[in-house]
Amino acid sequence: MERTASTDDPLIEADGITRSYGGVAVLRDASVGFTPGLTVVIGPNGSGKSTLLGTLVGQVPPVSGEVRRHGPAVDGRIGYLPQDVPFRDAFTARETLAFYARLIGVEGAVDEGGDGAVDDALAGVGLADAGDRRVDALSGGMRRLLGIAVATLGDPPVVVLDEPTSGLDPGMRERAFAAAGERAGTGTAVVVSTHDLELAEAYADHVVALHRGRVADAGPIERLLANHGVDDLAGLYRSVVGADPAGEGSSAAAGDDAEAKPTGGEDDAAVHVPGVSDR
Amino acid sequence: MSGRPAAFATVFRREVVTVARTPAYALLVVGLLVAVGGLVAVGGGGATGFVPAVVDLLLATEVLVPLAAVVLGYRALRSDRASGELAVIRTFGVGAVTYVTGVLAARLLALIVVVGLPYVLVGGYIWVTASPDTGIYATHTGVDSPLLFVRFLTFAVLLGAAYLAVAAGLSALAGSRRSAVALGGLVLAGGVLGGDLAVLRSLSTGTPAAALPDLLALSPNGAFRGLVFDHVIGVAFEGDGPTVNAGRALLALFGWTVAGAVIAVVALGPGRFVTVAFERMRRRVGA
Repeated sequence: MERTASTDDPLIEADGITRSYGGVAVLRDASVGFTPGLTVVIGPNGSGKSTLLGTLVGQVPPVSGEVRRHGPAVDGRIGYLPQDVPFRDAFTARETLAFYARLIGVEGAVDEGGDGAVDDALAGVGLADAGDRRVDALSGGMRRLLGIAVATLGDPPVVVLDEPTSGLDPGMRERAFAAAGERAGTGTAVVVSTHDLELAEAYADHVVALHRGRVADAGPIERLLANHGVDDLAGLYRSVVGADPAGEGSSAAAGDDAEAKPTGGEDDAAVHVPGVSDR
Repeated sequence: MSGRPAAFATVFRREVVTVARTPAYALLVVGLLVAVGGLVAVGGGGATGFVPAVVDLLLATEVLVPLAAVVLGYRALRSDRASGELAVIRTFGVGAVTYVTGVLAARLLALIVVVGLPYVLVGGYIWVTASPDTGIYATHTGVDSPLLFVRFLTFAVLLGAAYLAVAAGLSALAGSRRSAVALGGLVLAGGVLGGDLAVLRSLSTGTPAAALPDLLALSPNGAFRGLVFDHVIGVAFEGDGPTVNAGRALLALFGWTVAGAVIAVVALGPGRFVTVAFERMRRRVGA
């Protein structure tokens, strides 16, 4: 896969994004860019993670601010896995992927011989043997892996995965992150929101920490750890959020940011934090 | 095939497969067959010919076909939006127009099968069992014919298409399954009863009876009934003049269908930005 942008240039960036529901701001003046590699978005439930990711894919229109794309992302589609995997139960995993592959005209998508792009995509996430299983017969983890396969179909320059490890057992979490990390290694900007700090630390190149709807800090993981004088992502989380990540709920308890109400008490001054791309 | 036509065909095919794999729709066909067959058997018209059978079926068809259409349409456009899959589909470059037309075309095909199959079976039964002259392909007044039954079925499908599109369009607005059911019920009740009540009210408030053919044509049921009176039953019997303005009736059925599709496209397209506009207004007022 060939990418024309340098790894320091953001492929997609949020510029001053604010989004509110019923007058309550869920995301406030968020500015951050996403470069090739794996970026994890961390923060407590209700901090605006899903809303930020939703604005990146165009699912959540911002009240103010804009999302800008650069380089190959200008015309390319953005792969997306929502927090709740939504595929139709009556279709098999292969049929589900074939539907999306046809939409973008992926060559060989409907190869009946079983060696087309669809089967490659299934194999890429470890679902080669589950292609003929109906979606309602897949486990929660397998559904998420199918979602990752759909999101990465056609090699989009930007892939957005909203809590892909939520509710999964440790083995499946590892597989989900491995699949995301593999994609990030090919020059794709992979954005993953998660509460799974251990795996995030193992795979992430960049971190965006959200707190009360604001970008509290963002940048390469090593730099953030050094800046905060902590050893790991859990320490960074504590430093930024001021709470123990364990107390904020595990991945299984992840909530829907779009419906969460941020707590008050924050000042209204714009918070400018250098983004992942040092914007 | 590429671009929009390919995306349309892909959405259409997925929807057809979804309908084909939903057992409830097969039960709907059976239910309609029992109802339509039972009415023809009990009414006795089927033993005489196609036009008497149409007379027996007319009133029931005005309820059964809209009911089948609403069942097929009331959550056609809600399910993907509610599950979140529409958000994923959008990332594959499928616009609201392509998505809505693909889904509606597939559901229309399903409607033709669901409604057509029972009526065709009953029509075939009449052809085989009724008096000999039903085999004549009549184009002139006073002669019964299977073509008249086909015409009746065509009008019934047009009626169903209007209900299907409106129910699907409103389903795109529904926030929950319960509200989708409620909106579907509203479409059914409003269409089946509302149109006629509106015409009656209009006449009671001084609208001249001469305007009746135009007024009747406006509601889907009035348009359907008028077309059947004038172009199916009226072929066999001498009438006093047109019940409805035929052109206007066909235009109304087509118009209701298009209106439903437009509602859906707006709801799933620019309608998403309505809440943002409200939030912006709220910010300005609050600022």
